[in-house]
Amino acid sequence: MIVSVNWLKQYTKINLPVDELATLVGARLVEIEGVIDLGKKYQGIIVAKVVSVENHPNADKLHVCKVDDGGKAKGVKRDSDGLVQVVCGAPNVRKGLLVAWLPPKSTVPTSFDDDEPFVLGARELRGVISNGMLASAKELAIGDSHEGILEIDVNAKPGDDFAEAYKLNDYLLDIENKSLTHRPDCFGIIGLAREIAAITNQQFKTPDWLLDTKTNIKRTPSSASPLKVSIKAPDLSSRYQAVVLSTDRAIAETPIQIQSWLARVGIKPISPIVDVTNYLMALTGQPLHAFDYDKFTKLNGGKAEVIVRAAKKGEKLKLLDGRDVILAEEDIIIANGATPVALAGAMGGSSTAIDDNTKNILLESASFNLYNLRGTQMRHGIFTDAITRFTKGQSPEQTAPVLSQAVAMLADLTDAEVASAVVEEYPGKQKSSKIKVKAEKINQILGTNLTIEDMYETLKNAEFIVEMFCGKGKTKTDDGELDIVAPYWRADIKIPEDISEEIGRINGYDEISPSLPSRSFVATGPSDLESLQQNIRSILARAGANDILSYSFVHGNLLEAVGQKTTNSFAITNAISPKLQYYRQTLTPSLLELVHPNIKAGYGEFSLFEINKTHNKVHGKDDEGLPGELEMTALVYANKKSSKSSAFYNVRSQLDFLAKCLGLLFEYTAIDKKPDYPVTAPFDYQRSAYITEKNSGVFIGIVGEYRQQVIKNLKLPNTVAGCELGTEDILKAVNLTKGTSYRPLSKYPGTTQDITVQVKQQASFAQVWNAMYDEVLKGVELEWGLEPIGVYHPHDSRVKNMTFRIYLTDHEKTITRDAASKIVDKIGQALKKKLSAKIV
Amino acid sequence: MSDSVENVQKKLTQLIIGSTSPREVLRSSDLKKLYGQLPKLPAGERSAYGQKINALKKNLEEAVAEREEALAQANLEPIDVTAPFDVNSPLPDLLHTQQGTIHPLNTEIARIVDIFTRMGFNAVQSRQLDDDYHMFTSLNFPENHPARDGYDTFRTSEGLVPPAHTSTMQNRILKAGKNELENGGQIAAISYGRVFRNEDVDATHEHTFHQVEGVFVSSDANMSQMLGTLRSFFETYYGQKLKTKTQPAYFPFVEPGLEFAIEKPAALGGKPGEWLEMLGCGMIHPNVLKEAGIDPAKYRGFAWGGGVERLVMLKYNIEDLRHFESGKLAFLRKFA
Repeated sequence: MIVSVNWLKQYTKINLPVDELATLVGARLVEIEGVIDLGKKYQGIIVAKVVSVENHPNADKLHVCKVDDGGKAKGVKRDSDGLVQVVCGAPNVRKGLLVAWLPPKSTVPTSFDDDEPFVLGARELRGVISNGMLASAKELAIGDSHEGILEIDVNAKPGDDFAEAYKLNDYLLDIENKSLTHRPDCFGIIGLAREIAAITNQQFKTPDWLLDTKTNIKRTPSSASPLKVSIKAPDLSSRYQAVVLSTDRAIAETPIQIQSWLARVGIKPISPIVDVTNYLMALTGQPLHAFDYDKFTKLNGGKAEVIVRAAKKGEKLKLLDGRDVILAEEDIIIANGATPVALAGAMGGSSTAIDDNTKNILLESASFNLYNLRGTQMRHGIFTDAITRFTKGQSPEQTAPVLSQAVAMLADLTDAEVASAVVEEYPGKQKSSKIKVKAEKINQILGTNLTIEDMYETLKNAEFIVEMFCGKGKTKTDDGELDIVAPYWRADIKIPEDISEEIGRINGYDEISPSLPSRSFVATGPSDLESLQQNIRSILARAGANDILSYSFVHGNLLEAVGQKTTNSFAITNAISPKLQYYRQTLTPSLLELVHPNIKAGYGEFSLFEINKTHNKVHGKDDEGLPGELEMTALVYANKKSSKSSAFYNVRSQLDFLAKCLGLLFEYTAIDKKPDYPVTAPFDYQRSAYITEKNSGVFIGIVGEYRQQVIKNLKLPNTVAGCELGTEDILKAVNLTKGTSYRPLSKYPGTTQDITVQVKQQASFAQVWNAMYDEVLKGVELEWGLEPIGVYHPHDSRVKNMTFRIYLTDHEKTITRDAASKIVDKIGQALKKKLSAKIV
Repeated sequence: MSDSVENVQKKLTQLIIGSTSPREVLRSSDLKKLYGQLPKLPAGERSAYGQKINALKKNLEEAVAEREEALAQANLEPIDVTAPFDVNSPLPDLLHTQQGTIHPLNTEIARIVDIFTRMGFNAVQSRQLDDDYHMFTSLNFPENHPARDGYDTFRTSEGLVPPAHTSTMQNRILKAGKNELENGGQIAAISYGRVFRNEDVDATHEHTFHQVEGVFVSSDANMSQMLGTLRSFFETYYGQKLKTKTQPAYFPFVEPGLEFAIEKPAALGGKPGEWLEMLGCGMIHPNVLKEAGIDPAKYRGFAWGGGVERLVMLKYNIEDLRHFESGKLAFLRKFA
């Protein structure tokens, strides 16, 4: 929203330089996104008087003028009378006119921000020298009219600075109005001026016409234009006022000053009727709408029955901008009888538009339900100045003063006469907001030491109606209470906290000195889950893996590519793109999707992991009745080069490292039947294992290779495997186990012996390991270790060899070779018995 | 010449049929050699030969596609998952430690959590799927309130909400701390995690990002304490004294509401007068306390919330917000 500083100055004193003003407003009201120096555009433009007008010798439409600039311009060629020659093509140029003269070297204001601004000179026009030009309203960026030159309509004399004549030595503030959504009053110049007065510690005075909430419109006795108003549902419109005016001078010229105020804040001047409604909207925040009364009545057999109602579904309306819209039941419309004529609060209809032939005007001043209008705004993409203001919730009290002022201004500018009674419905009468608050409470909320007098002053300046009270025998400062009535434009003020905001803000939050809460200080720590997650991150990073974050939302195609059903995902109804339509059910698909691009980017071998929350409909609800959030840890290992060894084992060794660092022991068991869970969907169950923590018995997750179809769908290399673990399950296991166990080192050296056993092809490693452990090692009192060395399985052979290294240490004495061999022999016997193994 | 084309076709087709990674066969040197012949041929023969090897290439591509499809359908032999290594293979090594990394956002969140927990704030992770009540209603956003628009919220077809701010935990934090508060204690907690906004993505906008929210409630909490707490955090975070400033702002769940800025720290190349907007904050609205069963006549609180990505981008001079969720190793490996 653009605001003119000079316009604000019409209502309050501003003595600060503009940058200080912007900083102060930024700290105490709203962010100023930028300051624009408007005066720059008008530098060097001079008020001049046309002294003579002659026809151009070589061109029918051009005139050769002599202008008097009071001798102001330097370095211009003048005649013996000191006048300057300018060629002008405007039809309205005439002797005696006061005009805006752009002398040589000045810039045409409309072109000021162009890449190549139009700088004037002394040029020949059809053989006659023209020193600069006489400018139109359009060239001066004041209006739209370029049919003729601008005729200065205020007191000025030749040689005056043109910018001064219309207060164009101005700065424009670009206000970030998103943070003013609760302040409808600040969408008007007067409201902003009031705030500026208060924050610069001045008493503001709202113009009388706006303070008086009665309707002050005198009806001309002879007039009797029929008019009825009816609001069908009070929640759609809290107040609707209308009056008919008639004028013969609808096309009169709006004073240039008004046009110029409008133009500089981005509103296009059009005609006096439209300009007056826009001017008052810009001043007060209250939009008005003018209908052509004759067109209006024609739509309903000569009658004017204004009806405010909800639109019917599918009802159509042609808007002022020429668009046909199909209405929804939440839209509010203005109808005459049965015919819709305007989209309330948003835009008028084309059937009742004001034009040059308008004689009778139906003027509307109303307030509408902001929630409905918000819907209308979004549904139809209408972002007019009017709807922007209505959707902040304008006070219904101000429809009357603004309507009265509009009638007065139109009478002034167009001789408009009041041709009907003011007809109104006011079903949603605004109640005034009264608040009692102790001065002490304000100081408690803010952490300040303001006196009650300070508070009183601050509120008074912003035109709150305030009284101070105090208990018997007390002073106002220690026991005082403020009784406050909020002015009608401050419907946002409801509770004492709102008053603390006003006082804190207007006096400056930055004036509050920071302190710390007084409390018994106890350090806490991250949650167990958070600590574990951070721990897993650093362990996996030590194992060479890369911690990633990826979107929680995925494409349905990705879910399908890994064999997950989209119906198991929570679906986003307003997704930005199909790529982000579903909540991911597990982390693995997101990781798999990243493998191919990273390989293409030149990374040959890597592990990616993510620790995050997942959501799916298969998992139940939590104690709040909301979908349970699953804390997951997933990792994918990939290698561009093919390998004889399955990638399963690469992931397994990373997991074993993780387990070791966490003081856990992972046990891997084969999966005998194809499982059907979101988490197992991508995995080739015959080349995957379930993981259980051995000491606690807690189930941890799945590790394995992916199905060939998944590999193909996601362009994965052949050497790829991964895991998906429940992070809370790992936490459970960590909490249930004692962590890393340590036994003091022996003073005596230990010994190692290798054993190689030949077993049947189908015997599993676990069978061999368990036989060695259960039958022998479990019962050994010595300190022992068992390290697998290798599995050798010749192609086509029905048997395979497994080699283990056994570490043995005695804490009492140096272990003998014999003692060690005894144990190894025992192991050999056990394997023979249990698995018909051969010791090689 | 044509003999050799047919021979190569025969040989490579056989290879494809037997291969578990058939696409690699297309990079065979035999094929490259055939292409290499082309310029050496007399001009008149080139076109016919060229067509021939193109046909060969096409046949091989088809064979590869067929083989890939067959492989995709096929079940590979089961492996012994109870073993630590594959048959005839050594125990796989871990990857090199120096290529391992932790995501910079996770590192930074850990640091923020660390500072606040040392300041005595409990730290809870924020939900990633929640309901409208926690996201809006419990925070004094009546239904249809225009302020809801500012949050560009996603919805799910089940009527749930991917939270657009970590304040979605505020009502829970208040309820959980109510007893301690009423027994003379205080509520001090942060919630942190991932939030979602329906926003088109570019270098400075993301639909997925991270926030930290703070809540403090006591019998005498006030705005001065809020400003002091926030300043302390940022001074610890940047390891230097900082100037701060505020700006009025409107959020329905606080009254008064502010935006909080710090003077850009020297560590980040800041000069005096350069400000960084850090977060929104304010005194918790009485309706929000009431909604959590806390009597606003007896207790007051303050709350704040801000983004994490911004801090990380400033710290490392990261130019593009999109890197964070890209999973690009080229990015991630900068943060060893």
